[in-house]
Amino acid sequence: MPIAEQGYVHWDGRLDVHRRPWRPIARLGIRLAFRRKFFKFVLGMAFLPTLVFAAGVYISERIDDFQEMIRNAGEFLVVNPEWFKHFYASDYLLFWMLIIMVLAGAGLISDDLRHNALQLYFARPLRKKDYLQGKLFTLAFFLLLLTLLPGILFILLKIIFSGSFAFLAEYPWIPASVAGWSLFVAGFFSLYTLAISSLSRNRRYASILIIAAYFLSDIFFGIFFGIFRDPHFALLSIKSNLQQVAAAFLGAKPFFDVPWEYSAVVLVALAGLAAYVLTRRVRGTEVIR
Amino acid sequence: MEKSSLELRDIAFSYGPVRALQGVTVRIEEGACGLLGPNGAGKSTLLRILLGFLRPDGGEGQVLGHDIRKDAFGIRRLVGYMPEDDCFLPGMDAVTFTAYFGELAGMPRQEAMKRAHDVLYYVGLGEARYRLLETYSAGMKQRLKLAQALVHDPKLLFLDEPTANLDPQGRVEILDLIKDISSKKDIRVLISSHILTDIEVTCAAVVILNQGRVAAQGDLAALRQIDYSLYELRIKGEKEPYLQALGRARCRVQETEDGLLKVYLPAAFDRRELFRLAAGLGVQIRHFVKSRTSLEDFFAKTVGVD
Repeated sequence: MPIAEQGYVHWDGRLDVHRRPWRPIARLGIRLAFRRKFFKFVLGMAFLPTLVFAAGVYISERIDDFQEMIRNAGEFLVVNPEWFKHFYASDYLLFWMLIIMVLAGAGLISDDLRHNALQLYFARPLRKKDYLQGKLFTLAFFLLLLTLLPGILFILLKIIFSGSFAFLAEYPWIPASVAGWSLFVAGFFSLYTLAISSLSRNRRYASILIIAAYFLSDIFFGIFFGIFRDPHFALLSIKSNLQQVAAAFLGAKPFFDVPWEYSAVVLVALAGLAAYVLTRRVRGTEVIR
Repeated sequence: MEKSSLELRDIAFSYGPVRALQGVTVRIEEGACGLLGPNGAGKSTLLRILLGFLRPDGGEGQVLGHDIRKDAFGIRRLVGYMPEDDCFLPGMDAVTFTAYFGELAGMPRQEAMKRAHDVLYYVGLGEARYRLLETYSAGMKQRLKLAQALVHDPKLLFLDEPTANLDPQGRVEILDLIKDISSKKDIRVLISSHILTDIEVTCAAVVILNQGRVAAQGDLAALRQIDYSLYELRIKGEKEPYLQALGRARCRVQETEDGLLKVYLPAAFDRRELFRLAAGLGVQIRHFVKSRTSLEDFFAKTVGVD
């Protein structure tokens, strides 16, 4: 049958003018991330610290039962701000968060640029803000899954295993700190990843750039610190700055003898630069040649 | 429904010092309309303005009753846009892709999914709707772009080079669809194309832009008749002197491979003069038929190219 005879029926519904258009964008980003090779494996790996630290919460309440096993490691099993700092600022967690960003985020904008999809987005009643919100939420979802969710879980487990609210009475700021840090790191990493994604039309180049910028900054810190022995070179490293600010959020001892405010300024400046790059690279007026 | 699809009055736009559009006044009624013009004529800029991506420096206009300056979102809800470039999202199948853009247009999720199936069947992708878009051929991608433009049931379609990169059969099928959409489905269509025969086949009206201005607009049949008429001749005898005589009489002549002469007569030219010139040179006219002026002829004359 000729295609034109197959019929076209008008849609009798009404378009929703008061919707949140970032939602379908975020939902699609999350779905597509789960379809990527190795993504579930990587997500599983990123959850390993959560399992270990959750076990740690349990052991901390049954310390006498596990005395044989833990021997001199008892200090690591006191659930306090330092304990949370070791979780949130661990190299392992930050590394897997980065890998999640690469798999879920490197192509978020670069694929749209490569396949000319921006013009399809902006031919809809969609603002640049909606588009970027949708993409940011995709990444923030995974990052909050790895930070906010474990933090809440640890606090709940601590309350359940101890059978009291003594932990919250002793450290009342911890829930807010956990939420604050989770949002901060999710916001920073999301902007960082999206900005780099928007710089290239090739997902692979964007992936390499995301990893390279993170590790090279740390390598430079290592080199300069090795030569000059000045902890201020930690400001060169994205990872060290994140660790400094994580410690400050949680009210724990900083990793380096550098004011955490400096690190916060560096990270906020980087996030601001990323936001600027995004606004420049994602432009509605350039979508039709 | 609004009677005019779009109406622009004295639209002007500049990219810095470069004037892209000036004094563009266009009114497009129901049905299908072709947007023609050489490169740099301002077609893309006009589309950008119609979709609300650019604010004109001057003038005013409405698309389906929505102000192009104040209500870009209102326009985009009612308009479907099929871009020229290959556009898709990797890792998706056609149903998800089409439903996704329906949802972005404001359709409820379930409705968008149901509607995606319908329009994919309509454009002839029903059997391939679960295939990954990366595996689609050029023709399938064209149909997919049409499907995403139709999914939210727009009142007006902007089609940018809809038959680009298509084989002859695919081209015919897409043109059939466009004709069906514009004539039977109560959807108005604005087609920007370089392929003039596509416009001839699908459109009843045309707007020709040249150097940022409207060079001609109106009903295609009427425009063809405005300035000159076309006759097809076969002659016996010395051809060159006769062709020279026609040239002196300000007739434009094209000769086809099989010896057919296509003679364009100026507006006030008496066709009997063709016979007088032939008789004077001892040439016999063996074949004399009044022919339709093609859009190509009209376009060439309007924008001043050969």
